[in-house]
Amino acid sequence: MAEETLVLFKNIRNPKYDKSLAAYKKSGGFKSLKKVFGMKPEEVVQEVKESGIRGRGGAGFPTGLKWSFMAKGTGKPSYLVANADESEPGTCKDRELMLKDPHMFLEGLMIGCYAIGCHHGYVYVRGEYFPSIKSLNAAVDELYADGLLGPDPLGSGFNLDITIHTGAGAYICGEESALLDSLEGKRGHPRVKPPFPAVSGFNGCPTSVNNVETLACMPFILGDNGVEAFKSFGPQNNSGTHLVSLSGHVNRPGVYELRMDVNMKDIIYEYGGGIRNGKKLKGVIPGGSSSPVMTADEVDVLYNFDDLAKKGTMMGSAAMMVFDEDTDVVKLLHRITRFYAHESCGQCTPCREGTHWSRQIVRDFLNGNGSDEKLQRLNRVGGNMMGTTLCALGDAAAMPIQSFVKKFPEEFRKYYATV
Amino acid sequence: MPVFHIDGEPVEYEPGEKVLSAALRCGKIIPHYCYHPGMSVVATCRMCLVDVVDLGNGRPAPKLQTACSMDAAEGMKVETLNPKVEEGRKLVNEFLLVNHPLDCPICDQSGECTLQDYAFEYGSGKSEMDYSKRVNGWRDIGTFVALERNRCIQCSRCDRFTREITGTNEFGMFNRGHELTIDTYADRPMTNKFQGNMADICPVGAITEKEFRFKRRVWKLKKNHSICTGCSTGCNVTIEHDRNEVFRLKPHENQNVNKWWLCDEGRLTYRLMNERKTRIHQPLGRVDGKLEGVSWEEAYAAIAERVADMSPLPEEVLALTDTHASNEELFLLQKLLKDVFSTDNTFCPLPKWEQSESEFFINTLITTDKTPNRAGALALKIKGDAKSAKLKKAIEAELKVVFVLGNPFEAEVEVLEKIKKAQLVVHLGTFHNSWSEIADVVLPGQYYSEKEGTFVNKNQLVQATEIAVHALRRTRPEWRILADLSAALGQQSSYGSSADVFNAMTEQLKAFSGLSYAEICGVGKELRQQTKDSGMKVVKAQT
Repeated sequence: MAEETLVLFKNIRNPKYDKSLAAYKKSGGFKSLKKVFGMKPEEVVQEVKESGIRGRGGAGFPTGLKWSFMAKGTGKPSYLVANADESEPGTCKDRELMLKDPHMFLEGLMIGCYAIGCHHGYVYVRGEYFPSIKSLNAAVDELYADGLLGPDPLGSGFNLDITIHTGAGAYICGEESALLDSLEGKRGHPRVKPPFPAVSGFNGCPTSVNNVETLACMPFILGDNGVEAFKSFGPQNNSGTHLVSLSGHVNRPGVYELRMDVNMKDIIYEYGGGIRNGKKLKGVIPGGSSSPVMTADEVDVLYNFDDLAKKGTMMGSAAMMVFDEDTDVVKLLHRITRFYAHESCGQCTPCREGTHWSRQIVRDFLNGNGSDEKLQRLNRVGGNMMGTTLCALGDAAAMPIQSFVKKFPEEFRKYYATV
Repeated sequence: MPVFHIDGEPVEYEPGEKVLSAALRCGKIIPHYCYHPGMSVVATCRMCLVDVVDLGNGRPAPKLQTACSMDAAEGMKVETLNPKVEEGRKLVNEFLLVNHPLDCPICDQSGECTLQDYAFEYGSGKSEMDYSKRVNGWRDIGTFVALERNRCIQCSRCDRFTREITGTNEFGMFNRGHELTIDTYADRPMTNKFQGNMADICPVGAITEKEFRFKRRVWKLKKNHSICTGCSTGCNVTIEHDRNEVFRLKPHENQNVNKWWLCDEGRLTYRLMNERKTRIHQPLGRVDGKLEGVSWEEAYAAIAERVADMSPLPEEVLALTDTHASNEELFLLQKLLKDVFSTDNTFCPLPKWEQSESEFFINTLITTDKTPNRAGALALKIKGDAKSAKLKKAIEAELKVVFVLGNPFEAEVEVLEKIKKAQLVVHLGTFHNSWSEIADVVLPGQYYSEKEGTFVNKNQLVQATEIAVHALRRTRPEWRILADLSAALGQQSSYGSSADVFNAMTEQLKAFSGLSYAEICGVGKELRQQTKDSGMKVVKAQT
């Protein structure tokens, strides 16, 4: 089996590691935080910028840039919210971090808080993640008991609190502005942007929302010689290691920590151990259910943000779903459209009506009522959702529909041509 | 002001203003559902898509933008009519109609429904939706409005209304995705006093006024601008009527008075406009102790004859009026007493009243003073109050002639008993009441919707009403009756219209000086010289 590059998983891959604060400190934990407390916040942001780390939540926006956009001199408090509402189908990387090494993530969160001048960080955890919530709460308690949280941690004079907040399991609350609405106690509805959260976010104050994995990278980046090492893990603009949630018809599904210059083929056949039962590969959904699907011919590509974008798809949250030759693609699409129809918040028109309508059309194929006309209509309804909605959920629902229709039209035809 | 361009035409905007708001202000129509100038922007209907071909920096926007959430910028160029925009609107409209029941033939909104309008403009005429539609059903949500949720397009205006305008929060959005629906919380009926506005702002027929349901198709209604006479706020309204029957009152935007809103109580005042049973239909004279129909000439002649017989002293003449009367009527009544009888014994009730104070503007619309022209009476220096010593003294005298306008002091039995003893009681009014019972001559006036008049609201703003419906055949407007009376009693007057009277007031009265009738007809105009109302008490609004 091919080797992983261990940065985020260096403790998790150690069988003796017991995720306690003592064990984390022993592995070199909180050294970076101590170093960061000796720096100016602007210097921290600069280092993060130089490392070139891009957000691991799905959009791939440079984190350093995001932090530098935070409104300053508003007289309002700033907030850092960790987005732990990991709900993109196929993604299970943040859960690993929170469950097995919560202190690394929390140290990253604390570094982030210091960088943007936030004295109260929030972790918005997905409601279904009970073991993660338990693990995080225990870790935060440990930190308070140790004096690393609360007034004056490590003698820095920088008061810091962290609150673990549990969501109620809505996919849309993974969208940053809906997450903030939910955190404020409202219905999780995405907000109109601008103003962006960096100007008016949680309670109308400047807020940065960052993914768990992004924050968990911070202790490494701000450690000794971290920036250079981090940059060396991948091609330009795609620096660092990242966690790949590999699932589907592979022999060894799981979360792997990989450099950004690993070929997708290798991920499937080396790390994943090939397709189950010796079957042939049919296709891959490369970055969570919302990313456009790739056929078996297309998988010879480096698995990172830019190379996948060149192929007309996206890495998203790095959740690879592999499916073999026996898979019924129409059923798969039906499952995906059902998900988006259920998870659309419903406030804006194209997404509310489009997700449901497209689900009905796909179901028609399964019921044997398909036709060429309906296939075209399905493609049109998907296209009409694209780019016309308030948040990205409309696009997320449209991309799989359009790509499935484009890349597997024969599969749809099978449902009505043979009758 | 800085300028940007919509379809090549320059449009001025205030810094921070959105494209849609600036466009609407300049009369440029961009289709929209969820945007309302009085509430926050949510940009969810996606109908107001425009093509920003130049963001002001020479670059175009990557995709169609919603005009309601797009900040206007210097040098920006927006196109609202190009094929790309039309296509965008078409697809949004298609999505909106996917689950809409299209029950226009039985929907009250039909005719004033923006969904219907835009469906005609951008719809394809045939649906590709061949599955059963979403069904949510009818809900009884309150005293004033009915909710038909199938028609809802989830624009959330009603939700934002209870959140941001009334602050009552009893209404909200439920469920998610295509099942998103609107309802009250915990099945409780709505309690706010402004529910009618939710029917107004609903762009479709999801929320309709119970009072108006199934009464008339809206395209049959004729509309006249008027003033709500339900209280001293003087909200601007549109009287909507057909075949001389008034069907409803709708708020008319006036940023100085009521903004876009109107309370439910005010809306219900339309009922009195259609009231016929208790109306006085023709002049009445007391013959052998019984009121009998007479002609206007007979009535005037009889009054003139009786007054000549009695030749009353100034203190033997009295006039009572209520503050429902317009400025012109109060002025002419005062003038009649002054010119003919050389007295200023004109009284009106001026009880104490309360003005609500609230962080939500809409709550300040309701006052406890349920008459429209108290401030006008004060400006005309009409004395008042049943408890006042002056009125007590005046009614103690041996009264010979008493004029009663409207229904003043209706609860004061003592005043009524005293006036009963007067030798000649003349009642001018629209409805039968205790005064018309004791009167010797009853002269039928006209209701607000039937005549012109000016009123001064609680903020000293002078506003005018329009004639909306035809008056009853044998009635006359009060200002004309009073002018005729003074002519019959030997004082020539030359008022051809209510506006003439108003112009005379502006010449003769300091408080009204400098105003012109044309000026006050639009959004009203403040009095130059304002009178302080000592009867007002500011109280915290109850929500």
